[in-house]
Amino acid sequence: MDEEILQDFLVEAADLVEQLNEQLADLENSPTDSDLLNAVFRGFHTIKGGAGFLAITPLIEVCHRAENVFDKIRNGDVDYDASAAEVILRAFDVISDILEQLNDGEREFAENDPELLAELDALTGKAQVPVEAPSDETSPTSEPVLTLPEGVDPDGDMSDEEFEALLNQRDGASNTNGPATLTLPEGVDPDGDMSDEEFEALLNQRDGASNASSSVTLTLPEGVDPDGEMSDEEFEALLNQRDTQTSPPKVKKSVEMSSVSTPKPTSTPKPAPQPKAKKIATANKAKPAAKNSTESTVRVDTKRLDDIMNLVGELVLVRNRLLTLKGKNSNREDIANAVANLDHVTTDLQASVLKTRMQPVKKVFGRFPRVVRDLARKLGKDIILELKGEETDLDKNLVEALADPLVHLVRNSVDHGVEMPDVRVAAGKPKTGTVVLAAQQEGDHILLSITDDGKGMDPDVLRQKAVEKGMMDEQMASQLDDKSAFELILSAGFSTADQVSDISGRGVGMDVVKNMITKLNGSIDIHSVLGEGTKISIRVPLTLAILPTLMVGFNEDSYAIPLTSVQEIFDFNPEKTNKIDGQMMVRLREESIPLYFLNEWLAADKPKDNYRGDKVVIVSVGNQRAGLVVSQVNGQEEVVIKPLGVMLKSALGYAGATITGNGSIALILDLQGVVKRFQ
Amino acid sequence: MDVANEMPSFGNDMEIEDYNDEPAYLGPSTRCVLFTLENEVYGIQVQKIREVLRVGTIRQVAGANYGVLGVINVRGVIVTVVDSRVMFNMPTREVDDLSRIIIVELDEERTVGIMVDFVKEVKDIPDDKIESLSGSKENASRYIQGVAHFQDNVIILIDVDNMFMGVE
Repeated sequence: MDEEILQDFLVEAADLVEQLNEQLADLENSPTDSDLLNAVFRGFHTIKGGAGFLAITPLIEVCHRAENVFDKIRNGDVDYDASAAEVILRAFDVISDILEQLNDGEREFAENDPELLAELDALTGKAQVPVEAPSDETSPTSEPVLTLPEGVDPDGDMSDEEFEALLNQRDGASNTNGPATLTLPEGVDPDGDMSDEEFEALLNQRDGASNASSSVTLTLPEGVDPDGEMSDEEFEALLNQRDTQTSPPKVKKSVEMSSVSTPKPTSTPKPAPQPKAKKIATANKAKPAAKNSTESTVRVDTKRLDDIMNLVGELVLVRNRLLTLKGKNSNREDIANAVANLDHVTTDLQASVLKTRMQPVKKVFGRFPRVVRDLARKLGKDIILELKGEETDLDKNLVEALADPLVHLVRNSVDHGVEMPDVRVAAGKPKTGTVVLAAQQEGDHILLSITDDGKGMDPDVLRQKAVEKGMMDEQMASQLDDKSAFELILSAGFSTADQVSDISGRGVGMDVVKNMITKLNGSIDIHSVLGEGTKISIRVPLTLAILPTLMVGFNEDSYAIPLTSVQEIFDFNPEKTNKIDGQMMVRLREESIPLYFLNEWLAADKPKDNYRGDKVVIVSVGNQRAGLVVSQVNGQEEVVIKPLGVMLKSALGYAGATITGNGSIALILDLQGVVKRFQ
Repeated sequence: MDVANEMPSFGNDMEIEDYNDEPAYLGPSTRCVLFTLENEVYGIQVQKIREVLRVGTIRQVAGANYGVLGVINVRGVIVTVVDSRVMFNMPTREVDDLSRIIIVELDEERTVGIMVDFVKEVKDIPDDKIESLSGSKENASRYIQGVAHFQDNVIILIDVDNMFMGVE
């Protein structure tokens, strides 16, 4: 298990669990609140995503079921009543327990209480086929696909090449018809003409294939034993391979189960695999797993610290100079020099301090080769991931905030974008699909893009889906241009995948991605050509701390509007407005846009009856546009965002405050809140 | 920030009375900043206070709760200023030359400024002179930690943590 990624997951999961705790409590009071239900659903989904990546099976099982339950509840199929709440809360406790144990350095977990799982299943109304249930031998088709990553994790003894070879074989085996592959080796055994190598190869294949059905895992090795041609070492190697391939926590159970039904081997040269698996398990446990303290540190090059130290030294010198100038009646030129020097030093110092927060985007990109590899194997696809611009620096907070959206997008590309190898060949494309993850700096923005050469998206299918989901009527849908049709995938509850899996296709991913990017003052752009591939571009500012804004004001009070939202500014003209249903609207190029008179809120004590000379600032808020009427527009300014203090965090309509060039405070508007305030 | 052994910095030329005019008292005591509201003397533990500021420009925030006067810039940090008179259900009054803002650190993250009429002095109040008032927790009185009768003064000790408990 990758400790670094695990720690990241734990930090994130801790937040989610805390939120879920509150949300579940709120839900008891308002069990039909759809926003709340969606939030809870997403919470479980996100934890499951992380757990799936780290292969913490019990956690996946519980989260997946809880998620299913909430899917039913939010669709209105099931009510969130007291009995449902009881089961869900128990599931929630199990999740927090597992996370707590992970936090304490525990890496192996007992099987989930089957009763709880069954109760969760019962809540969804039907005993559905658990997608990733490891002990469920009745679903051999879905099982091999999903158990694979678990087999991958504990590998410690094998070389990478060996392991890769095994994986390949197993992947191959699980994709073909399971039973056929499994009966073959038995037919081969009695054959005396085989060379050692052939035999070994077959054994390997069988070991791989045995993952397809856990009941076979133990009956097969018995067939091996009587074979006298193998040396003890060879046999041991085989056993080891099998042991490492089967994951300790969950195969343990299937081992116990099947050992009951199969006769004990009469002459086993080596102890049964079980103790061995245990040994590996304890070895893993002994690994230093330092107790997690929430990571809020940043690694800084000593050189950068030296620079800062140096600049602070300069700053002290300038201060001393100013202090001496203060005492005597000095001439203007001396003061001007000192101030110019101060300006210089502080600018450099600011840049240096900002740099300490910068981290290469590699920190996020680093996890993707693994994500893509595992996922591609799971799905039986052949995919190469190319990383570009890994050394691009961006703000630490951004690096962390971008990790999740990018995982979603890359998973989508692998799952939905790139086709199966045979489909690709049939379409005249190279068998191996390519996903390119690139980062580059563009002025004061970072441009991240995920490009695949897969099947692309069909705008017509998306339009049709939108109609089916009741998001719009047919006429509206047909009027959407292709770009807007692609953007449909960013809406909540929009998923075109018919099959729900733990990879993607719930329609939660993309709207979460969109929300997260919007929160970072970024934007998403989707470009897709049917049959050729999809490119999703994300633009985010270099740092979260500095925001380009448009300063507007009423008399001496100034307010900052994030510049990314501002579309245009024009003079207020009463002749171009009209009142529709009590709401003032302005006509702009055939479109009516609601007008909000900010002074009604921000300067309520000084009512105005004449808005002549005022300006209208057209801003985009989510998917809508709004016109804000302000007294003055003071121009652009890059501001440092500072949080509003105690008792004002909940004040609707503000994103924070900043200190302007003349030392006064300007309030930064949160446009979504502003619009809400006026509605 | 550990300020237990520091004097909070007063607005420049503020005169501070000598607080060692009593015969030496050796028992445990609590060092407090004393301020007045409507002729009553109140005290806040000095550990909680970062500094005392003269009233500069306060930027009003439309839509804020009643009692929030606005925000000020304390060396680059935006701090909310509340009116202590509103907190104690007293009529508000205009800011004058003697008005001060006491900057209180609730915890690492949260700092708040409390506007008071006049900051009097810093005093060590012997703990045995403090009567706890923990019994009644109604309305304004839940902010009150205790009352000290000390040197002909009745000092109302304020529990700032309680005052801003649950406030985001």
